[in-house]
Amino acid sequence: MSPLDTALLAIVVVVAAPIAGGLLAGIDRKLSARMQSRWGPPLLQPFYDVRKLFRKETIVVRRSQNFYVYFFFVFMVFTAALFFTGGDILLTIFALTLASIFLVLAAYKASSPYSFIGAERELILMMAYEPMVLLAAVGMYLVTRSFIVVDIARSPQLLALRLPGLFIGFVVVLVVKMRKSPFDLAASHHAHQEIVRGITTEFSGRTLALIEIAHWYETTVVLGMAALFFAALPWLAAVAAGCVFFLILLVDNVFARVKWQVALATAWITAAALGVGNILVVFFLR
Amino acid sequence: MTSLAFLIALPLVIAMLLLVFRPRVVRSVIVIAAAVVIAVGSLSLLLPQPGFLSAPFQVPAEYLDWIVLGVELALAAFIFFLGIRHVRHLVSLLALLQAGLAVATEVLFGSRIEVATLIAADRFSLIMAGIVGIVGSLIAVYSLGYMKAYHEHHREYRDRQPLFFFLQFVFLGSMFGVFFANSLPLLLLFWEITTLCSFLLIGYNGTAESRGRAFLALTLNLLGGLAFAGAILFLASTAGTVELDKLISMEKGAALIPAALLAFAGMTKSAQMPFSSWLLGAMVAPTPVSALLHSSTMVKAGVYLVLRLAPLLRGTIPGTMVALVGGMTFLAASLIAISQSDAKRVLAWSTIANLGLIVLCGGIGTYEALWAGILLILFHAVTKALLFLCVGTFEQKTNTRDIESMSGLIMAMPKLSIMIQIGIAGMFLAPFGMLVSKWAVLKALVDSNPLLVIFVVFGSSATLFFWVKWMGKLLEVTKVRQADESGIAGRQWVALGALSAISIGLVGFYPLISAQLIEPYVRGIYGQVAMISQGNFIIMSIMLGMVALFPITFFVYQKNVRVVDAYLGGGNVDSSVLFQGAGGQVKSMEMRNYYLTRLFGERRLSLAGGIACAAFIFVMFGVAL
Amino acid sequence: MKAFAKSPWVLHYDASSCNGCDIEVVASLTPLYDVERLGVINTGNPKHADIFLVTGSVNAQNLMVLRNLYEQMPEPRVVAAVGICATSGCVFRECYNVMGGVDTVLPVDVYVPGCAARPESIIDGILQAVEILEKKHAYMKSMHGRMKEMTIGRATAVDAPEILALQKIVYQNEAEMYDDWSLAPLRQTLDDLRRDFETRVFIKAVVGGKIIGSVKGIMDGDTAHLSRLVVHPYFWKQGIGTRLVQEVEASFPKAKRFETFTGQKSRHTMEPYQRLGYLPIRQEKVSEHRDRVYFGRDREGA
Repeated sequence: MSPLDTALLAIVVVVAAPIAGGLLAGIDRKLSARMQSRWGPPLLQPFYDVRKLFRKETIVVRRSQNFYVYFFFVFMVFTAALFFTGGDILLTIFALTLASIFLVLAAYKASSPYSFIGAERELILMMAYEPMVLLAAVGMYLVTRSFIVVDIARSPQLLALRLPGLFIGFVVVLVVKMRKSPFDLAASHHAHQEIVRGITTEFSGRTLALIEIAHWYETTVVLGMAALFFAALPWLAAVAAGCVFFLILLVDNVFARVKWQVALATAWITAAALGVGNILVVFFLR
Repeated sequence: MTSLAFLIALPLVIAMLLLVFRPRVVRSVIVIAAAVVIAVGSLSLLLPQPGFLSAPFQVPAEYLDWIVLGVELALAAFIFFLGIRHVRHLVSLLALLQAGLAVATEVLFGSRIEVATLIAADRFSLIMAGIVGIVGSLIAVYSLGYMKAYHEHHREYRDRQPLFFFLQFVFLGSMFGVFFANSLPLLLLFWEITTLCSFLLIGYNGTAESRGRAFLALTLNLLGGLAFAGAILFLASTAGTVELDKLISMEKGAALIPAALLAFAGMTKSAQMPFSSWLLGAMVAPTPVSALLHSSTMVKAGVYLVLRLAPLLRGTIPGTMVALVGGMTFLAASLIAISQSDAKRVLAWSTIANLGLIVLCGGIGTYEALWAGILLILFHAVTKALLFLCVGTFEQKTNTRDIESMSGLIMAMPKLSIMIQIGIAGMFLAPFGMLVSKWAVLKALVDSNPLLVIFVVFGSSATLFFWVKWMGKLLEVTKVRQADESGIAGRQWVALGALSAISIGLVGFYPLISAQLIEPYVRGIYGQVAMISQGNFIIMSIMLGMVALFPITFFVYQKNVRVVDAYLGGGNVDSSVLFQGAGGQVKSMEMRNYYLTRLFGERRLSLAGGIACAAFIFVMFGVAL
Repeated sequence: MKAFAKSPWVLHYDASSCNGCDIEVVASLTPLYDVERLGVINTGNPKHADIFLVTGSVNAQNLMVLRNLYEQMPEPRVVAAVGICATSGCVFRECYNVMGGVDTVLPVDVYVPGCAARPESIIDGILQAVEILEKKHAYMKSMHGRMKEMTIGRATAVDAPEILALQKIVYQNEAEMYDDWSLAPLRQTLDDLRRDFETRVFIKAVVGGKIIGSVKGIMDGDTAHLSRLVVHPYFWKQGIGTRLVQEVEASFPKAKRFETFTGQKSRHTMEPYQRLGYLPIRQEKVSEHRDRVYFGRDREGA
């Protein structure tokens, strides 16, 4: 791709990713409601929520707290652009981490006990999913000999066949990444958590709206990574991403929230057993 | 050539001057002037196209051998009597053994061995010299202000500043010696001088505690020294040479035993598990010592040696074992750092972890790993020195170095807190240097040994946890505090400011350093070289540009927002901190970080890591023999 | 576009009810009523909420909590009193510790009747609250961006009714804070205030044609006595108080010294003075919970 094409694609991604992410969030709420035999909100509810939030007053505890959220947002957009324009997958992961760190720092800066605990828990969760995400990238490299998303996507091999352990492990940490039960310790979309709203407790109005939109970007990126395992067959990739999304919803509605110890142990043991095991098999059978 | 010898000799001369001229003002003048000269001198070596620097030395090797041996024996005697006097017989024994080995080498093989190149410098040595020259001089300047305040705070310790600065400069000189020496006995001599300096500086306070820690450091480092001396003897007897460049160009099979012995020496010096305890103990020394010796320079001598041996270790089982020791140390030390609340201990564990990562690179020994390892040394030296000095400054001002007491530092000491954040960001955050290096390590490992990836991915996720929670503590403000940064000497600010600027500047300039120095060196050994693609570099530059905008927000406050109290379940009593508890009493809210001590406790993990690493080391020697 | 109608987020607080209404509030979330189909989320966090749903009557224990939660909600916000206890105190009205319905503390916009209130009426109340939200938002929008055109100047007797209304809003807060409803500014009549204009200087801050803040002062010898600094709560912490004080000081060019007093807990009133260098002089008790703190400063160069 020429730089101009890349730039154009990046613009398309920046516009389209939140629309896709928002719709996914809407489907999420609708499906969850149906699983609980409720009617549920309209499909476009997430957009309504954000539209309203932009009309609210912005209140803060510390005057500088919102800047961190702006950086979180900008880096999340950057991450999405980097991933969908086919950049380096490791760099994408680092950018994603950087973005998440800004959100955590925002929560620290807000200096409220609930956002503080939310920040600490979010860090534990980041520590929990980070190895598995990196291992997934390593596994993709071992099969395709490239860290570049475009090259991985163009590989004729169906990665999921060579990397089933990594794929399953990745789905497990996706639950963490998408803030779903049983791993939604830091900030849950469900009301009335023991730590109120965790990291987002002290953010309101347009700042909260930005956090919401950033999450939409994040959802598209992580689902995109899951789809990468099936990139050889595009139709299958779409189906797989849909199935993964549905599975995570199901898990969300079935499981109760666990303690951080369990969350950390689950993610790490999955990474160590399925992830590393899979990588070793691929490496030695090469 | 002369400039190499000059760089080694100058600090030694300065050290003598400092011992003679004791008034404070004179000392300040000498130290500052010397710092400038050393920094400029070490940098000037980088300017011309290097390569001509390796020329035969003029002094007849005959005499020099004996001089080196003589000094070495004198050192051994000194350590021997120290051991006797303080009833540390193990120390005496080790010194005796090492002296025995040195004498044996000289007597048995001395006459047969011709040393062609006594001291030499290639691009790797020059990078190391540049680090020592710049970071070392800045720390020396910082020490001037710090030590004055230190003795005003701690009346109970005897003021031995002339000795302190004497040792600091002797140390700097011998560090240059370590990096420039090509003859292994000479290298060992400088190596042991740094060990002795470290011993004396750890024991500087003269308390029973600091003496105990100092002897621990001495014992473990002497163990490494013994292995070093053994390597020389072995090399002299089998290969008939005692030169580093000849060793490296030897065939792998023959060189495995000396390589393993030297790698062992390097691992003790770099406080790899199971020898990491001495570095933790060394934290009793005044902070500039920790910054200079125990994070940015002396411990780097160990990894320097391991990286030198990288071509020999590549693809061998002992090499894999070295890599495993490094990887295990990285993982265990990173996890342990989570459980620490003493800022200096966090830094110490993180230092051990990063040294482990470099050792890992050396053990892998591929061109990508070597490139990553050298970059790691560079970034880590600067950033860690900055962090240590910041913590020292914080301690000087508040008499504590507990991270919990850094709450709200962004208000109380804004400048210092921003510098700490620069340091922390430099240690783990994209797109700063350490992350670039970790990225390179990851790429290097994927191609050679993906099993080792596990250490890196788990270890680096742990680093993320402890660094961010520290950053959070600095940012979080629970009560309004008046900014007060008085009482910190201008010289300290100069050193801190310079290190911060270098930390940031390196991110922009490392491609240049890589292209001019690291890549030619790596290409010279392997014929190929790894580098970050231009596209990725552009992306990282964009990220850096965005991150660089961030500090602006420290000075801009949002105007059109309403400030309300933090949510405390509605129980706020006119503030974000006070709330009404049961029975109507007013209580104060407190926030403390997670340390997860039950899971990541220091004792448990260092025991496990130590046992695993000891096993790897046994296998290494077993296979090598 | 009705942004608020599509996404009313609720904060539910149980003041001191028998839990009947609470259970009905929760029942509205269940599959049978499912208020989420209307976009309603029970946030449990004032910072995210639009509608403050209160059940139960106000007593001495929860008075402060109610005020804190309301204070921590972003504008536009609406208070809905759910159930008869929240509306009036019901049978608990005469209890020694009960102060009455929610409107004794907060400006209630919607009253939902019932004991217990039925889910249908609660949902109806929420939908009425949503309309009020829209209105409040329209008002906010009309004020938005007009802070820059704020004018500060001398007030005349014509402004008296508006200043009196503002004064009552602000001092209601004070009265609750000190549990002292005998404050003179609350009891002042319009005629009384009009008479003040003959002897005193009044300064007003005006945004969009509305008075949002005022202060008054009078000369006594060399000293100018300033008092009744009020700013509408919407506009707190924006430096309006400070500008008012500066303006009123400027209208006493001959004064060598300025003095004022505030209640000991009235942070909002104290801050502008302290920022301008006023120092506490003395403190005296005026009622059981209220002390008066006197502040003063000398004019620069005097």
